Amino acid sequence: MKPGSNSTNSIPPPPLPRVTAQFDRTARVYEPQQQLSIRYQIEGFDEATVQAVERSVLWYTEGKGEEDLGVHFFERTETPEGLAAAMPEGAFVVRLPVSPLSYEGVIVKVRWCIRVRIFFVSGRDFVSEHVFDLGHIPPALGIRDPLDLSEPSP
Amino acid sequence: MKLPRFFGKKRGHRRTGSQIWGSVGEGLFYAALVAAGLIFGGLLVSGAVAYAPADAEGLVLDNRQAWWLWLLTLLIPGALLAFGGSGLARVIRAWGKSEERRAASVEMPALLDKMGHAADEAPGHPGVPTCEDLVNSPGTILRYRLPIESPESWTLLGFGLFALLWNAVVLVLAVGAGLDLLSGRTDWLLLAILVPFVAVGVGGIFLFGRALLLATAVGPTQVEISDHPLIPGGSYDVLLGQGGTGTFRELQLLLETEELATFRQGTDTRTERIVVRRERVKEWHDVQLAPGARFETHVTLAIPADGMHSFASDHNAVKWRLVVRGRPERRPAFTRIFPLVVFPAQASAAASAAGRSSPRQESP
Repeated sequence: MKPGSNSTNSIPPPPLPRVTAQFDRTARVYEPQQQLSIRYQIEGFDEATVQAVERSVLWYTEGKGEEDLGVHFFERTETPEGLAAAMPEGAFVVRLPVSPLSYEGVIVKVRWCIRVRIFFVSGRDFVSEHVFDLGHIPPALGIRDPLDLSEPSP
Repeated sequence: MKLPRFFGKKRGHRRTGSQIWGSVGEGLFYAALVAAGLIFGGLLVSGAVAYAPADAEGLVLDNRQAWWLWLLTLLIPGALLAFGGSGLARVIRAWGKSEERRAASVEMPALLDKMGHAADEAPGHPGVPTCEDLVNSPGTILRYRLPIESPESWTLLGFGLFALLWNAVVLVLAVGAGLDLLSGRTDWLLLAILVPFVAVGVGGIFLFGRALLLATAVGPTQVEISDHPLIPGGSYDVLLGQGGTGTFRELQLLLETEELATFRQGTDTRTERIVVRRERVKEWHDVQLAPGARFETHVTLAIPADGMHSFASDHNAVKWRLVVRGRPERRPAFTRIFPLVVFPAQASAAASAAGRSSPRQESP
């Protein structure tokens, strides 16, 4: 879980909520085009202070390069009925795409995750991220002997 | 709202600085550009201000300008308006939205959904580059002829451009010095500058000529493949043709996976490349090439079943390629690269079938 937030409220900020997520596969490894079902629970917050909740399934890159991000599923809830269904407990089901597969490269990594982002009336927001794997690509190890064209090979 | 801080810290994925203040600053910058463009453009259009070369001391009232001169003078305010306006629209559009919502709003509108993918993304395969550029050239024996990406070509182009531009400057200086000499004047400073400039120019021409000789001395390399896009675990027929004369001490055909990461370093944008997988498909020793006949052979290319598919996003990529590496006798070694596109194993069979009928067709 990654508790990142934009703190825009005057001091003192209220305590951060806690989000627990339960995937329908305990190993959190999914095949392409497989259905992902997730159930989450948000604790430690006052429901009256919530303005909106966003739920998304996305991939992002990590590593040496700038971060790229692709959203596969996105849902924003602002209405009272929607908020009542999305918190403090919620669930959603998504059919995963064929690509990009999760990848642990040397300088490029592709990660899949679900994010639950809560917007408070004060202007602050809180995001909780839960990573899972799409596919079974083993980590890349890298090449220790770069091509040397100046010397003949043995 | 907290007051803005000039210095922030990076803590893992996030920064301590306020995103709101950052957006405010960005918005003010673009708004200032728009305002400058409006004021400057308004003054020019209304005729209150015009540039008069004859009177460089100040601004003059002059409406008798040619129409193309008006267009030319409106270029700067136009550019300010376009740059500032687009930046301001981007800031307003992103205001108060999460990065997921911004990304989703780009990808989800129905209009864009009809296109379904970015220009360089394979249909129905997010994050996978298209192979349209790799299947538009039919092979002579096998189905597709792969395009070449030769590092030596870029070196040759670089040397050529440098030699051309540098010697153009040298020519201008030399003409000036020559005219001075003809008129009986000797500008020693110009002559002193000209000598090292000429030396560098001659060196540039020599390097270009050497690179050209090396590039053309080794004959053309041709690679054809029986199918595209490729699938992890699949096997493909590959035809390698190497032209030229003389003896190649060694000729190798390699399959490589390369990672590319583009990042900002200060004000520069850099791209780091690293080969993370290399498999020797086949190698040949002491290959004799006769004039008019090329070395030609068929090999079977097996794509590892556990390999990552080709991946491309704005700043990151995983690329597959065939590399032909040769060591001709009495000539420098050369490397020629032939890009490949590997689709994910799942649904790749359907994509391959679709690709055979039409490279643009979306897989079911």
